[in-house]
Order: sequence, then structure tokens, then C-alpha cells
Amino acid sequence: MKILRYLLLIAILLVMVFPLFWMFRVSLLPTGSGLTPKDLIGPSITMSIYYDIATSGNMLKYFINSTVVGMIVTGGNILFCFMAGYAFSRFKFIGKNILFYSVILVLMIPAHILIIPLYLLMFHLGLYDTYAALILPFLVNPIGIFLIKQYIDTLPSSMEEAARIDGAGEFHILLRVVMPLCKPALAVLAIQVFLTNWNSFLFPFILTGSDSVRTLPVGLALYQGHQAIDWQHLMAGSALAVIPVLVIFLFFQRQIVSGITAGAIKQ
Amino acid sequence: MKSRQLAGYLFASPWITILLAFWLFPLLYSLVLGFTDYRLMKPTFDWVGFDNYIRLFSDQGFLTALKNTFIFVLGTIPITTAISLVFALLLNRNFPGRTIFRSGYFMPSITSLVVIALIFSNLYSRDGYLYLLADMLGISPPENGFLLSNRTSLAAIMAMDIWMSVGYYMLLFLAGLKSIPEELYEAAEVAGASARRKFFSITLPLLKPVLLFIIVINTIKSFQVFIEIFVMTRGRYGSSTAVYFIYETGLSRFEFGYASAAAYILFFIIAVFSVVQLGLLKQRGIQ
Repeated sequence: MKILRYLLLIAILLVMVFPLFWMFRVSLLPTGSGLTPKDLIGPSITMSIYYDIATSGNMLKYFINSTVVGMIVTGGNILFCFMAGYAFSRFKFIGKNILFYSVILVLMIPAHILIIPLYLLMFHLGLYDTYAALILPFLVNPIGIFLIKQYIDTLPSSMEEAARIDGAGEFHILLRVVMPLCKPALAVLAIQVFLTNWNSFLFPFILTGSDSVRTLPVGLALYQGHQAIDWQHLMAGSALAVIPVLVIFLFFQRQIVSGITAGAIKQ
Repeated sequence: MKSRQLAGYLFASPWITILLAFWLFPLLYSLVLGFTDYRLMKPTFDWVGFDNYIRLFSDQGFLTALKNTFIFVLGTIPITTAISLVFALLLNRNFPGRTIFRSGYFMPSITSLVVIALIFSNLYSRDGYLYLLADMLGISPPENGFLLSNRTSLAAIMAMDIWMSVGYYMLLFLAGLKSIPEELYEAAEVAGASARRKFFSITLPLLKPVLLFIIVINTIKSFQVFIEIFVMTRGRYGSSTAVYFIYETGLSRFEFGYASAAAYILFFIIAVFSVVQLGLLKQRGIQ
């Protein structure tokens, strides 16, 4: 029984990881060699495509764009989701409940409804095809606010009160007292935001029109249009998009899983 | 006290700004657009009432896209849910190597959908791995690969979607399973309940809130299927979906008003489905 169970689990595992393995395999083929299934275990492996990508073409530019945009968006979310989460958890102000419901409501809004108006808005603002279009709307997100608010709710407020009695200003308390206590939640948030942004396609796709600001997923999706399908370059570029994710996953598995389940099960 | 009120607003202000500028304003803007025939070539907001909506329901392209969307939703959700539940049950006990399996099954879910779609485009193509595998197994694949055929393209994309998303829902199920108290199973064991009995009398009823939550979020997500359609077929070979139609109408034919109306129809359908399902969630969640 036990062996059968393991065999089943291993068979599923092979099915689940095979496509990613295949991507790496194709990207490591020598240029110009055939792509028949027997290449799966063929002996020839070369990094030449990666060298090619690093020295010519747009792939490297897309990669850098993705990295820059991802870092800024992640930084913004750490600060702004934290500020908003803190406000919703600790402060009383008129309209707070309505505002907090808006967070939950926005969570339910399907992205497709924003395609046309966001495109037009960015166009009229003169931000179409700029980094600003890729960054501004995503600097703070409802799930992040929700996550941080829930976390701060579980913290005792005695340290903040003590600091307040000592005469500390609100911004000082925010950054020096509460923020350090929230490190675990902020780490979860940062990883979630970076991964989501790194993989995101729809809005970066509709809000950009030239190679100079395109991110990696957009560049990859449009690559086929440029030339006849060049699987080796395409798979190497894909690998470029996947490797950072795999590395982050390897190091932060626990945070990723807790971020997903916290958002889901608590509702 | 007044200064603390002010601080509250101040801390929430980045969210308030982005909420108004990039969520609420666009939402209302496109609602208005849907009642105009605002186009690239005719950038005036001429009110046309429900004309766009009426035209949509006689637009064969839209109706086909809508039909495909429903096929996608109704085809993938039950299978995805069932498979991810089975995966979760398989991994819900402690045994050596459990983490490796869990990570491996989950991995596709955190990979970029564009990348997955590109890899599968290769696997589905005429000399791709899956094509040859199907040939070997005696299932005759379409001549030009799975994606370039009216008969198989949508199904092939659906299969990929299921493969990709089961790991994510498996994690949610695992979290749900962990919250079921162990004593219930112990008590059932003492009473001599069979494994099947334990599943249907304890596991499944207690998983209901998670199960319905998964169905709700998967419904919202699946109604909006677009990326894989764009990357794999560009909406050809009978694989166009509602969001693909919106994209094509709005951003490649630049009929902004007409596309906005289509977006609102889909929005309405998703809202109805979500409300019904959330109603069920509440009802069952309390029991």
C-alpha cells in the first residue's frame, strides 16, 4: 500500500514538474539543433543561448525593467499598505468603516473591467508607455492592507501608548515602534507583492507600447510576433522569468504559503 | 484627539488616493463609456443609451466568446476542485518527502502564466511532446497540433489551466484540513467508522467553507481568462473568450464604448455568480 502511494505521488510529481524541466532543456540545446522529444535526454548542453540573450536583443532590457518596477512597487506596498493597515487597525476617524469596506469591495472587482478605462486614463494623463503607468496604480493593494490590519490587530498597543506618553510623534511611532513589530507580516507582504508583480501580464501589457519599458512577461508574450517562433530564445527568456521565482520560493516557502492561506482562510 | 483623527486620515491617504484614481474613477468612467460610442476615430461622448448592449447580443463574435467563457468556467472548476482536493488528501499526513511533493505540486502556480502558456504552446505544437505522446497512445491528434484546431484548442488551454492551478487550491485545502480537530477522527475510529464514512461525515462537511471559498475565487478568476488565450491562440481556432473580445474590441479596434459595455456585461455575470455563491457560503458556513 505504502509503495503504491509513493509511486502515485511520484508519478504526479513528474507530471507537475515536467513542463518546467522541458523549458530548461530546450533553452540549453545547442543552437539550431532539432527539438524532438528524444532531446529530452540528449547529451548536448550549452549555455550559448543565455550568452546570446545577455549580450544582444531586448530580453535583458525586459529583465531589468521587471526588476526595477518590481522593487519600486514592493517598496511602495511595504510602506503604504503598512500605513493604511495601521490606520484601520488603531485609529478612529470618520468614514473609517466605509473606507475599510471599500478595501474588501475592491478585492471583489474583476480586473477586466479596468482594462479600457485604465488604458484611456493613462493615455490622457500622458503616462501611457512610461514606468509611472506600471508603478502608480499598484503602489498599494487591498489584500496587503487586509493582511497588515489583521496582524496589527493581534499586537498589544501598550508600546505605542508608552511612546505616545513619552511625547513621540505619530510618524515616529509608526516607523520606530510599530513597524519593527510587524516585520514577519511585512516580509510575507513583500514576497507576495514582488512575485505577483513579477509575473503580472495584463496591466503591464495594456499600459505599454514600446520595448523600452516592457516587462519580461510582456516581452515574452509579444516575442512570437517579431519573428518566426524561435523556441530556444523563447524558453531561455522564460527561464529568466522563472529562475528568480524559484529562488525566492526556495528561500521563503513558509512565508509564501502562510500569505496565501492567511488571506484565504480568515475570511 | 483631533490630531489622532488627522493622523488616521494621513496614514490612509495613499490608499484613498489610489482607490479613487485607479479603482473607483475607472469603474465609473467605463460605465459611462458603455453608453456612448466613444472610439479612437470619434472621440466625443455621444450618448447612445443601450445601443451598445443591444448590439452585443446580436454580435456573433461576442456570443461565441461568451459561450466559450462559460465552457471554460464550467469545464475547469469542477475538475480543478476535485483534483486539488485529492492532492490535499494524499499529502495531509506526515510521511518522509511530504514537503517535496507539496512544493513540486505547488510550483506551477507561482510561475508566470505567460511562461506556462509558452511552454505548453511548445508541448502542444506539431512536433511537441504532448502531441507525440498522444500519437503514441493512439489518440489521433489534430494535424497542426492541439492549438491550431477548432476541435481541440479550447480544451487544450483548459487542460493547461487545470494543471497549473491545482497546486494553489491544494494549499488552501491543506490549510482547511489542518483546522479539523483530530479528536473527531479519533472518536469516529472508536465508533468503528470506515475511511469512506469518515470522509463523508467529518472531512467533507467541515471543509465546506473552504470548498465554497475556493469555488467563488476560482469563478471570479476563470470568467476572466485571457492571458493564455492571448499567448497561445490570439483568440483564433474557436478559443476567443469574453475578456479576449473586450481586449480586441477595445485595444486593437479601439471601440472603447462598445468594449466597455461588453466589460460591464461580464462584470454583471460575475457579480451574479459571486453573490449566489457567497450566499451559499454564508448559509453553509454557519450550520
